[in-house]
Amino acid sequence: MPDHENRPHTHHAGRPRALRLGVAGPVGTGKSSILAALCRALAPELSMAVVTNDIYTDEDARFLRSAGVLPTERIRAVETGACPHTAIRDDVTANLDAVEDLEEAYGPLDLVLVESGGDNLTATFSPALADAQLFCIDVAGGGDVARKGGPGITGADLLIVNKTDLAPHVEVDVAAMVADAEAARDGLPVLALSRKDPASVAELADWVRALLVRHRAGVHVPTDPGPMAPHRHA
Amino acid sequence: MGALAALLLGDGRLPVGGHTYSAGLEPAVAAGLTRDRVPALLRARLRTTAVTEAAGAVLALRAAHRTPVAYEPVQRALAARMPAAPQREVSATLGRGVHRLARRLAPDHPAVTALAGLGSRPLRPVAFGALGALGAVMGVTAAELAHAVVHDELQTVAAAALKLLPGDPLDSVAWLLAARPDAESAVELALAVRTPDGLPARAAPLTEQWALDHARRERRLFLA
Ligand SMILES: Nc1nc2c(ncn2[C@@H]2O[C@H](COP(=O)(O)OP(=O)(O)O)[C@@H](O)[C@H]2O)c(=O)[nH]1
Ligand SMILES: [Mg+2]
Repeated sequence: MPDHENRPHTHHAGRPRALRLGVAGPVGTGKSSILAALCRALAPELSMAVVTNDIYTDEDARFLRSAGVLPTERIRAVETGACPHTAIRDDVTANLDAVEDLEEAYGPLDLVLVESGGDNLTATFSPALADAQLFCIDVAGGGDVARKGGPGITGADLLIVNKTDLAPHVEVDVAAMVADAEAARDGLPVLALSRKDPASVAELADWVRALLVRHRAGVHVPTDPGPMAPHRHA
Repeated sequence: MGALAALLLGDGRLPVGGHTYSAGLEPAVAAGLTRDRVPALLRARLRTTAVTEAAGAVLALRAAHRTPVAYEPVQRALAARMPAAPQREVSATLGRGVHRLARRLAPDHPAVTALAGLGSRPLRPVAFGALGALGAVMGVTAAELAHAVVHDELQTVAAAALKLLPGDPLDSVAWLLAARPDAESAVELALAVRTPDGLPARAAPLTEQWALDHARRERRLFLA
């Protein structure tokens, strides 16, 4: 049996396998809420599934199931042996198993969202698991987070500056935070998001739709944000 | 290749999902096991489940070297010796990771293609046997394979203990060394098994019960 599972564009019945989109970022920045928002926006038009990674098995999965945005059986949680970091990067076995099981049970799927068990700023997805990844930070973490950098901030396919509705309360200048992020990312996109701002949520959904088009056309190349990029202090 | 392959097989960093497994420690801790009893748990596993696991892997390795490769008898014998369903499921989940690695290394090798021909997912010892039979890439002797399986069992418990019963990581090296006589006899027993019928049924009732309890538990860190 040929080994297909790690080729990004395995065709089955002439169509590439589901796009796997990782969502990483520190705890509490809004990853699960983003998954819920994406399911709400895209499930009517796409066949979707979700995999969550938690320190304790299934907190995120339970949150998403109770949000009622996808049939509950399409939301799986994996055990990470207290190492959510390892499970999305050094050894992605448990996550691949979950993605394959979902594909087998409900496929063909268009989009599988994988939430990292966010522990800190350095955890990013291996391209062996995710074709593309969002990295999520929030204004409540402070205006400096984007400038401090880290592989997710500098290299994720899309950086989200979340909870912009809270900016006035935490005295953060969103425009400046976005500008800092853009400067750190060398042209990669940044999106200011709030679940209270429907236009920003629509923009996020459009970004995912456009990514899916590129994935299906075979022109999206998964890139690894990897370790911190070498940089100079001018 | 043998010596290096044997080290790779027993290396917890082998990316086949081992970090999600505690080799029974988390279920035992939930049932009240304390840190001072970890050496006793290691001894118990070396006299029970580890013998069956290592012997199953050795039988699978030998089957992999025959033509045609037939794993069914050892797969069935192993399943029959894991009475708790969650244990069979976990073994199949762990076997799946090893199978994925074997497919990546040698997709067309008869030892690997025969895994897909099983009616169910290969249990972990079967997948390990297949992996160990990949002569040019991963070939090991039966003794090396049995040592790797036993070593992996010990290290899995020790690594999970750092998460579940925190203490000085250096302690765990001492635990493993103290378990050496039991580890060596587990290897010897495993190597002496010649046929699937002769596979020892070394199950332990408490291990079974804990595995059943664990499968129903919420907020776990490890698969089993
Ligand atoms: N004000 C505000 N709160 C948000 C927003 N998105 C998420 N949250 C809240 O932030 C907290 C953490 O969100 P969650 O999605 O669980 O974060 P995760 O740990 O990254 O998955 C929850 O209390 C959410 O209700 C947002 O856009 N605005
Ligand atoms: Mg979450």
